[in-house]
Parts: sequence; C-alpha cells; structure tokens
Amino acid sequence: MDFIKVIGFKKSFGTKQVHSGVNLSIQKGECLGLIGGSGAGKSVILRSLIGLEKPDEGRVVFDGKDITDYTEDELVNIRKRVAYVFQGGALFDSMNVYENLAYPLREHTKLGEPEISEKVLTKLKELGLEGNDKVYPAELSGGMQKRVGLARAIIMEPEVILYDEPTAGLDPFNTVKIQEMISRLKATGVTSILVTHDMPSAFAVCDRIAMLAKGKIGAVGTRAELDASPGGIIHKFINGEQL
Amino acid sequence: MIQTFASSIGGFVLGQLQFVGGSTVLFLHSLKEALKPPYYPQLIVEQINQVGVRSMSLIVAASLSTGMVMSLQFGLGLEKFGAKLYVPKIVSLSIAKELGPVFTSLMFAARVGAGIASELGSMTVTQQIDAIRALGTSPIKRIVIPRVIACTIALPLLTVIANAVGTFGALTVGQFELGLDSGFFIQKVITTVKIGDYINGLLKTFFFALFVVFTSCYYGLNVKEGTRGVGIATTKAVVASSILIVVSDFFLTKLFWIIEKWIS
Repeated sequence: MDFIKVIGFKKSFGTKQVHSGVNLSIQKGECLGLIGGSGAGKSVILRSLIGLEKPDEGRVVFDGKDITDYTEDELVNIRKRVAYVFQGGALFDSMNVYENLAYPLREHTKLGEPEISEKVLTKLKELGLEGNDKVYPAELSGGMQKRVGLARAIIMEPEVILYDEPTAGLDPFNTVKIQEMISRLKATGVTSILVTHDMPSAFAVCDRIAMLAKGKIGAVGTRAELDASPGGIIHKFINGEQL
Repeated sequence: MIQTFASSIGGFVLGQLQFVGGSTVLFLHSLKEALKPPYYPQLIVEQINQVGVRSMSLIVAASLSTGMVMSLQFGLGLEKFGAKLYVPKIVSLSIAKELGPVFTSLMFAARVGAGIASELGSMTVTQQIDAIRALGTSPIKRIVIPRVIACTIALPLLTVIANAVGTFGALTVGQFELGLDSGFFIQKVITTVKIGDYINGLLKTFFFALFVVFTSCYYGLNVKEGTRGVGIATTKAVVASSILIVVSDFFLTKLFWIIEKWIS
C-alpha cells in the first residue's frame, strides 16, 4: 500500500495554474526525488503533504488517511510524524541553536531538561555542529543553518522527512555531509521526499526520481529506468534542453 | 484613465474588506485557541517587557511634554481673561478623559504596532511562521495570544503612568511659568477629576490595545512580497491602528457616556 499519495492535485496562484493534476505515490521507507524547473511547484507539493498549503482540487493521503481537509488541530498529529526541512533552515532567530533544537522536544514530549540537553547535544555532534549550541542563527553560515534546520527536523525521530532543496547553495563538503545524513536516515527506514535541483545528490540518495513539468508528473522511475530512456524528459532537463 | 482610477478604488476597497475579514477571523481564532492548553506564561511576561516596559521612556517623554505644553497654552490663553486659575481643572480633565488615553495609544500604535508587524512580517518571509506550524505548534498560540494579553495589560498601565506624568508636567509649568501654587493645583485636580473619568479613559485603552495588536498581527502574518512587503505591512499596521484609535474614540466615548447615564 502507498504510504503517501497525491491524487489529482491542482493548484493556482492568482490566474497562474501551477499544478493541473499531479499524481504521485511514495512507498514506506522509500526516498523519492522530486525535480523540476524553477517555479514548477515542487515546494508547493511538499508543503501540501503536511497541510502548509491546501490544493484547490485533489487529495493528499497519508498512511491511509485523507488529510486534505484536516484542520490545524488535526494536522498536529501528522506533523509530529512528518518533519519538514526548510530550504533556508527557517530557524527561530530569537532562539539560539540549543533552544531551536529543544523546541519540538519541549512542545511534544514530557522529557526533563537533562534528557533534552543530552538529545540536543548528541544531535549537534552527529551533524558536526558541536560547540555551537549557544550561537544564534544569524551568526551561523548558510550551510550550518541548513544543518541546524535538519537537526531540528529530525530530533523527534520522524517517520517521514520532507527535504526542500537541502543542498542548494552549499559547497561540495557540506553537500556531501547532507547527502550522508539523508542516506543514514534512509537506512533507518525513514521515508523521504527530496525536492532538489542538485542531480548528483538526487541520484546518490533517491530510490526513484519524479519530474514535475507543465503542472504534472512528466516522468517517474528508478535510475536504471531513467537511463534506459535517454530521450526522456528527465534527460532533457538534466542536459538543459527545452522541455 | 477612468479604468485605472476605478481599478485602484476597487483594489483599495478589496484590501479594506480583506483586512476587516482577516483580522476578525484572527480575533475569533485567538479567542478559541486562548481557551485551550498549552499556555505560555513565559512568553506573555517577555512580551509585557517588550511592549510595556520598553515603551515607558517614549510614553513618559510624550505625556510630560503634552502636559507641559497644554498647561502653558491654556495658561497664556486664559490669562488674558483672568481665568488662569482654571488651568488645573481643564488640563487634568483633558488628560484623564482624552489626551492621556488617546495620545498614549497613538504612541503605542507607532512603537509597538510597527514592532509587531515588522517582526511577524520578517518571520513570515523567512518561513519561521511556517516552521512553527510544521513543528506541530500554533503561531496563534505562540505569537499572537502572548502579544494580545501583553498589550491589553501594558497599554492601560502605560496610560495610568501617562496621566500621572502629564498632570505632573502641567503642575510644573503651572507653578514655575504661570505662578500657580502647587497645593492649589493638586487640590483642583483632586476635586475636578473623578475616578470614573480615569476608568472611562482606561477602558478605552483596552479596546485600543486590541485594535493595535490584531491589526499589526494581521498585517505581519500576511506579508507577501518579501522584505518590501514587510515595510508595506508595517506602514499599513501603524496607519490602520491609528485610524481605528481616533475613529473608535468617538464611538467608545459615546457608548461609555450612555452606559454611565444608564447606570446613574
């Protein structure tokens, strides 16, 4: 059974129709890469999976439940299971790194401060951010902000992680770090969707790649399947050809 | 040209309707969410410090100046008619009933309203508001409600301070510039201004605080055009709050007057 399903998703912004019937399904434990040109609406699909955006038409099904019309209260339980890694980190700039990471733990668990502290410091160490717990987001580099954002998203050990361009604007070293982290999480059975333009990262960590073009999923398949169709839309996208 | 004019009028009316509808929905959501746990007392205390304590110097300076200027103007004007002795009555009553609450609220709208709209606007464009939601928490609970509670506590208290400081300013000018005895001044203030006059003024500031905080939160949470949008939202928040304060002042004064008559 599909773990996450997007059915006939349609969305317009003003007079511009961005999605004209997107259908997508993700299996449990799978990592799906969602690619497409700028403005194709990849992030909108990702946001709709946790109710940050509502479709004009169509359904979003999560673990067998249609969550399209869920209220903010009903979405809380979904959002505890699904983590969203924002493109720029979206760290709370009034809180330091430690408080940013402790935020979901304080909100959703009954853990005491010593356990929270242990979890936060362990997670920072895992992502190579030790010693930065007292630092405020504005004092961090872009790459570090992304890693802190990732640490905050995964600290609750979610079942699903939605990555919105996690490697955009990063140097090769940080890109590899993020790739390794995504692969490590995937190995633990986490289901993930990776929105990206970074094709090497997508091929390195994703089981399947789906291409969003002209408001619909233009192609979807494994690396092997895509390689078998050299004239396909994904190859055209990678080679910078007109779609 | 007519089409452009009609389109800009239509856009303005639509914007106003969106504001009224959006801020009413925000008010109703806040009311609903305020009753449910979790509660964030720490955030309320932080906000009282932010919107109340940190506004004190501005309010003190503005009210001191207002009291002094009013005393001087009335003193010099009434002196020509030999009515300088009425300065304590006129000034203290004006401060308690109108100038204290309205001036303080307008200052509050400028400082706190702008602060809230720009802070929330920046949080919106940097996706921090989305992050609050994505982490399974409510921006209304964490951001809006603490500010609403803090503003409705802080503004009446700031008005009490403004009333006292304004009257003190008037007294100082009365004594040193107009030659009025300070004992006489204080006695006239006490016999003229009733407790009901102060309560009327303070009750109005409770409503003014709601106008400022919901207007600013609405514009801040609905920023759409990046950092440029933050500036526009801030300006709109201050303008709309100030207009709401001055317009509602008349209706609230009339309403309280009717209630006062009805009670007595």
